[in-house]
Amino acid sequence: MAKSIDTGTMISETFQRKVIEPSTPSAYSDSCHVGPDALLGIKRQQTNPTRWNGQSWQEFAAALRDHDIELRENIAARGTFATDAGGTAYGLPHGVVIARSAAQVSALLKAAQQFRVPVTVRGGGLTTEGESVAFGGVLLDMTGMSQVLHVDTDALTVRTEGGIFWHSLAEELRRHGMDYLSAPLNLTSSVGGTLGVGGIDVNSPRLGCSADQALSVQVVTPRGNIVECSDTQNAELFQRVILGYGQFGVITEATLKIRRYTPLRMHYFYYDSLRIAVEDMQLLNRNDASDYSGILTIMDCAVNLLVAFDSDEREAAFRANWQSHLRGHGEPGFALCMLRRYVLRPWKLPEAWFLFQRKRELFPEFRRSEYMRDGLMHDRTVVFSRAVWKFWGSKQMVIPDLATSAEKFVEAVERGNAVCRKYFPHYTLYCVGIKLRPEHKAHYEMSCIPPDAEGWAYGCEFEPMIGGQVYSRDYFQSFKNAIYDIGVDLGGSYYRFGGMMKGYIRRVFGDEVVDRHLAMKREADPAMILNRDVIF
Amino acid sequence: MRTVDVIIVGAGLSAAAAAKRLVDAGLETIVLERQKLPRHKICSGILSPRGHRFLLENFGPLPREVLHDPVSCRGVTFHFPSMVSMPMDFFGGTTPHLHRKEADYWAVKSSGAEIHDQTSFVGLQDNGDHVIVKARRMGEPVEYRARQVIGADGPSSQVIRAIYPDYPQSIPWFFVGQKFHEIIECPLDEQYFHFWFHPGLGHYTWSHARDGRQIVGVGFKSGDNFAKKHANVVNYLSDKHGVRLGEPLDDEGCAENFGPSLINRYVFGKGNVLITGQASGFLNMIGEGMSCALHSGAICGEAVVEARLRNRPMQEMYRRMIASEVRRTTDQWNPLKIAFDRPHEADFPAALMAMGWRDRAKVLRDLWSFIVLYKEFKWGRQIFRAAMQRPLIGGYSMKRWL
Ligand SMILES: Cc1cc2nc3c(=O)[nH]c(=O)nc-3n(C[C@H](O)[C@H](O)[C@H](O)COP(=O)(O)OP(=O)(O)OC[C@H]3O[C@@H](n4cnc5c(N)ncnc54)[C@H](O)[C@@H]3O)c2cc1C
Ligand SMILES: Cc1cc2nc3c(=O)[nH]c(=O)nc-3n(C[C@H](O)[C@H](O)[C@H](O)COP(=O)(O)OP(=O)(O)OC[C@H]3O[C@@H](n4cnc5c(N)ncnc54)[C@H](O)[C@@H]3O)c2cc1C
Repeated sequence: MAKSIDTGTMISETFQRKVIEPSTPSAYSDSCHVGPDALLGIKRQQTNPTRWNGQSWQEFAAALRDHDIELRENIAARGTFATDAGGTAYGLPHGVVIARSAAQVSALLKAAQQFRVPVTVRGGGLTTEGESVAFGGVLLDMTGMSQVLHVDTDALTVRTEGGIFWHSLAEELRRHGMDYLSAPLNLTSSVGGTLGVGGIDVNSPRLGCSADQALSVQVVTPRGNIVECSDTQNAELFQRVILGYGQFGVITEATLKIRRYTPLRMHYFYYDSLRIAVEDMQLLNRNDASDYSGILTIMDCAVNLLVAFDSDEREAAFRANWQSHLRGHGEPGFALCMLRRYVLRPWKLPEAWFLFQRKRELFPEFRRSEYMRDGLMHDRTVVFSRAVWKFWGSKQMVIPDLATSAEKFVEAVERGNAVCRKYFPHYTLYCVGIKLRPEHKAHYEMSCIPPDAEGWAYGCEFEPMIGGQVYSRDYFQSFKNAIYDIGVDLGGSYYRFGGMMKGYIRRVFGDEVVDRHLAMKREADPAMILNRDVIF
Repeated sequence: MRTVDVIIVGAGLSAAAAAKRLVDAGLETIVLERQKLPRHKICSGILSPRGHRFLLENFGPLPREVLHDPVSCRGVTFHFPSMVSMPMDFFGGTTPHLHRKEADYWAVKSSGAEIHDQTSFVGLQDNGDHVIVKARRMGEPVEYRARQVIGADGPSSQVIRAIYPDYPQSIPWFFVGQKFHEIIECPLDEQYFHFWFHPGLGHYTWSHARDGRQIVGVGFKSGDNFAKKHANVVNYLSDKHGVRLGEPLDDEGCAENFGPSLINRYVFGKGNVLITGQASGFLNMIGEGMSCALHSGAICGEAVVEARLRNRPMQEMYRRMIASEVRRTTDQWNPLKIAFDRPHEADFPAALMAMGWRDRAKVLRDLWSFIVLYKEFKWGRQIFRAAMQRPLIGGYSMKRWL
């Protein structure tokens, strides 16, 4: 065994040079035969990875069989994973392995390391830039590991397997009167996938990003070691794995903080100015005036600030101290406001009609009787997720985003809004704050958390409503590039900078940081097999 | 008979791009190529930066063997009869001087599709749920059965003939030819592609350096005499630019379907047959066709994938998706766009404004007398209509496409 690892590292030197595509103009110009200045001015890039060539696949497959690992090579099994929620990056694995245990994942990674076979880990596959798409090699489907292992209602923790969907976890926790802290609003993202990329909820302004609720995780490293890590145990690995885009290990189990389940007291405020809505949201966050907050726009002149509370006390305190500071209107007030707007601008009547229609369809969705009891909203994740898929979902989810510090956020939102307006007739912006944990600064390096954010980071997702429309991927890509260019300009970050958008990584984080992480990655994953097309 | 998902006819750049999209999505794809690969392709090989980026983003960094010498091109120099010369650099730095023979082969191999070379497409039969493709491999007839066929077979497309037999007669044809000369003395900067807006020389006149030789090329309406036209250009270069060349060592030429993108008259196919690349009419200004071949090819492949996944009509999907590439290409010919926007990858208006007003006037006058050369094709009104349409409907009318 030791011998095979030795040759492994030796060969991996040449292997690395061959397979790692330079993803940025600066890296490219070193190896570019065209000229040192070729493409200097053309910064925007996407990446459609070259398919892995399948070398040693048969030997690898045989090695898996020796370990009793089931490898599915039929087209139906592979075709299921041809794309992700984004629907713009396509690739087929050579084979699919369904995760069963940490030991099995470990054996798989050891073999993959030995035969240099790329392994792409997939939870819910809700990435949008092809991060969870395998361009050849093995697709490791984590949904096979989706058990809740232990709920501790005293210590307020849960131990769960990594492939579980948040929604299933919530269901299990509810039996104990518990809830997770925060998770993406889409029902089918997994715990492991989310700890790796971030996870933002409407309570993130108070409870932080989903990744920050992990107390410890069990990781199978790219070399196949099974390691438990946390802030105190193997802290360095913990720093790399949390928000690490699956580069430094497969998350097979996690211990998460939990809390008592509460239904929500919802409030909606309406604005005709994005800027003012954002300022008000930030005011609430700074003063800890609400438990949940977020902005959803219908149009850029019809902006909804959603505010919610876990308890009557918090709600009463908000009413007494903060509600009067908000510059938004209630529903009737806003209706008047809009009436005035369109009476003065009769040529914009189609816009008014769109607004009216949208309101008619959308609002009842947030007040469905099965989720409302005594004026309180239950199962917010289900309510929001249903609405997300129903009103924004399509075969292609094109949702670029910008993440900045609090100070730069208004500018980011306004500039991104101008880009959306240029590309699509209708779109929605979703803005939310993320409370940061100062002691987790190391986790945040080279992640969606912008390097200059203090206290809170802010994220805005730009969601075109594609509906039945058809656009070329090139058109979507130009749109994404235009949004991402703003991020480069502002020195921010992104939630979805990997995969097809990885060309931005060096521009955003700088060579020094990226090279440091690349060196760590090479150390941890000599054959560069784990999620190889995502970041580097 | 081999049964596959998609047959692509042609192994050029548009084919490579389409194949990449199809193979990535798991569709079994065969590329048919008439010639033996790697095959020669007549082309200046100046890939625009957008095309370079496409190759890089889809097939990885360019290997050295896919480049000629000089390996790169800095920009384009326009020359006018009044002896004003306008060098213009590409927006993003230098761009590759592609060796088409090697580059196309590299790209099509990288796509991962199965390649059948020396296999000539001769006809097809669209049976609604599948297409039977007839071809000849080294003289022997072969048949394939596919769900879709993509015609990526370049300017004089057999696939178009199979579905629209009258189409070739309905458009004007040009002949472009080039000769490779030994260089005795050449003051033309080898970092640039040189182009003459000179009605007395031809519809399309160019020169550039390659592998130690100087290429002199000329394009004109089919029917004229290449040798004469070419000699005329060589004499002109010698008289006016002091270019002294030896006897030509090699020459070549081909027919070109110059025009469809200019007047928004593309051919995208019918039923299960899709046309892409230069076959469908994509050609940018000054005959630059690789970047739009790559992009249209990719869109064609995506359209097949999307239409299958969503169970939507193939042609509708393709046409809606290709609209962005039509805008990009036809914008380059749109006088309003040229005047007020920057549709090209080098800045013509800026170069024009950088000149003194006297030179500027000369250039505009020369441009006009060059455009008059194209009068006989009666494109003026169609260009005008397309230009007016652009801001009104935010694109170009799909009704004019075949
Ligand atoms: C309609 C829609 C709505 C969304 N809403 C939200 C939202 O409200 N908030 C939010 O934060 N995000 C949202 N997202 C983004 C999405 O939820 C996140 O990308 C999600 O957390 C990913 O989880 P996943 O299980 O789908 O991960 P995947 O897409 O499967 O994987 C994500 C990445 O992590 C890697 N990975 C997966 N599992 C593991 C593992 N066990 N160990 C190591 N690496 C792993 C993958 O290789 C990949 O690189 C939304 C996306 C969509 C399409
Ligand atoms: C002289 C000249 C100079 C040019 N200079 C430039 C330039 O500098 N920059 C630029 O961007 N563009 C240039 N172009 C244009 C460019 O070459 C084309 O637009 C581009 O090659 C089109 O690519 P394609 O994939 O659509 O078709 P092609 O590259 O033409 O490929 C078509 C393929 O189909 C094959 N084929 C044809 N018929 C059949 C059949 N019946 N069965 C099987 N296979 C078949 C052909 O052999 C060929 O391999 C130039 C063209 C010419 C003629």
